[in-house]
Amino acid sequence: MMELILIFISAAVVNNFVLSYFLGICPFVGVSKRISSAVSMGMAVTFVMTITAVVTWLIYHLILVPFKLEILEYVTFILVIASLVQLVEMFIQKISQPLYEVLGIYLPLITTNCAILGLALFAVLREYTFIESIIFGVGAGAGFTLALVIMAGIREELELAEVPGIFQGAGITMIVAGCLALAFMGFAGIS
Amino acid sequence: MPKRVNKLSYEFLKGIWDENPVLISLLGLCPTLAVTNSAINGLAISLATGFVLICSSLLISSVRKLIPKQVRIACYIVIIATFVTIADRYLAAFHPSISKDLGPYVPLIVVNCVILGRQEAFSAKNNPWRSTLDSSGMFVGFLLVLLVLGSIREILGSGSVFNFQIMGDWFIPWMVMILPPGAFFTLGILIALVNLINQKRAK
Amino acid sequence: MKTALKMFLALTLISVLSGALLAAMDSYTAPRIQDNFYRDLIEAITLVLPKYDRYEEVNTNQYPIYVGKQEDLDDPVGLAFKVTGNGFQGKISIMIGVTPDFSHLTAIKILEQIETPGLGTKIVIDPSNKKDPYWFANQFKDLKLEPYIKLVKNVKPKNDNEIQAITGATISSKAVVRILNERIKEVEEAYRKQLSVKTD
Repeated sequence: MMELILIFISAAVVNNFVLSYFLGICPFVGVSKRISSAVSMGMAVTFVMTITAVVTWLIYHLILVPFKLEILEYVTFILVIASLVQLVEMFIQKISQPLYEVLGIYLPLITTNCAILGLALFAVLREYTFIESIIFGVGAGAGFTLALVIMAGIREELELAEVPGIFQGAGITMIVAGCLALAFMGFAGIS
Repeated sequence: MPKRVNKLSYEFLKGIWDENPVLISLLGLCPTLAVTNSAINGLAISLATGFVLICSSLLISSVRKLIPKQVRIACYIVIIATFVTIADRYLAAFHPSISKDLGPYVPLIVVNCVILGRQEAFSAKNNPWRSTLDSSGMFVGFLLVLLVLGSIREILGSGSVFNFQIMGDWFIPWMVMILPPGAFFTLGILIALVNLINQKRAK
Repeated sequence: MKTALKMFLALTLISVLSGALLAAMDSYTAPRIQDNFYRDLIEAITLVLPKYDRYEEVNTNQYPIYVGKQEDLDDPVGLAFKVTGNGFQGKISIMIGVTPDFSHLTAIKILEQIETPGLGTKIVIDPSNKKDPYWFANQFKDLKLEPYIKLVKNVKPKNDNEIQAITGATISSKAVVRILNERIKEVEEAYRKQLSVKTD
């Protein structure tokens, strides 16, 4: 049990996917302007991550390994992710049209979110068990959401500040992210 | 809308500055920040990415007329993932230490927005010759940014560049440069610098 | 209907092409990758074991154990095995060499770690110690394992089961010792169990 909690905390905070591993940066820079969209994006990503963790683990350990097809790992994983995102998109559209509109273009972009593929690859690399992979997925998604929301909060405040012209947009975002990363480094050693 | 036909040389050069994939379009940030803790890692990842980018462009623009619109993303993804696997295996077999250093960031080239972005935006609509020029230019732009980032971070963070110690014993390395915050800070400043230069040019 | 057919054909063709390319790549590189793995493994084992001429692999439930033996003799000169555990920043993996009776370490080699550069990384190499940059790992040579490895801080080790922590990298040092103590016990149990099964 302790091991599972450790995995969760490690993925969410200590080794935060965005601030330590640089995964999921693209939406990080683009979406994190408003707290509400950051939360929605974070939840969608967490959802996709958890299901991805399940499906990719099953495919890897039940199909690829027994048939010695490990070389197909990247191709299968990305196809799985692309299909899952399609399904999630259709699902969300069916059950909640307003939510679908809020997420807009960012939904299909989750496919190219390095964090999702990164999650699948790490789970295989670290040889997590099935349950461990699921917890890992939830933790990673939580960490991603956390980073995104904090970032959005800071950026909402920044809009009221006077940022020098050349730093506006991506420049200041990077600097802020750097400060955040610095802060999160303080979590190291919890394990 | 009439298709703008650029000069061939522009197709190549635009990737280096005007439409630099990292500094202007802000794509492919994941590897950019992750593996630029040393110049050689930045070089290796750019070469791998370039390989995948150029090969995919070549293949996809060659068969672009045969792929139906609805399945194009799936096809692009399979092609890109295939070339990435090839690059990854090649590194693991012939350059194992670099492969270990780059770790999972080689397979992550699959989701590097630069590659899929170029296929969707360009290779799907242009002939192989133009597509290769376009992706080569993007590759060079990407390579330059990563080399600069990697070198800066390595010099300030380890006192060396390409593993050659160039800072003397007097220099106390800024450890933070090879850690995540250093990556963010350096990239932020680089982007600001580029904006500055572009603003001055526009005057 | 015609589009559906085109879609199906396009996808199938691309998949077949991809499969063929990958299968070729796999057979081309797989032997090399295997060789690289074994070369690294043998290098690590040779570093931690006393002189040996060949090794036998014993597979316990979790760990392969490499038993080093000399040319024609059957008595092991030492056992080598790789373990992993949590360090300060991430996982640390260590190749451990022990005497066949598990009473002493022969040596250790840190294989993988992602500790804080300049501090935790001193467990591998400490450039500030000009005389012996590898002093931390060298402490473990011929170290007594009974009752367990003890870590001391800021003083020179007095007993032969003690080692000194790195100043400024106490947690990384402690992690290494903890991993060694815990894992060696596990491996010893698994190995003895394996042996007793074999002699039945």
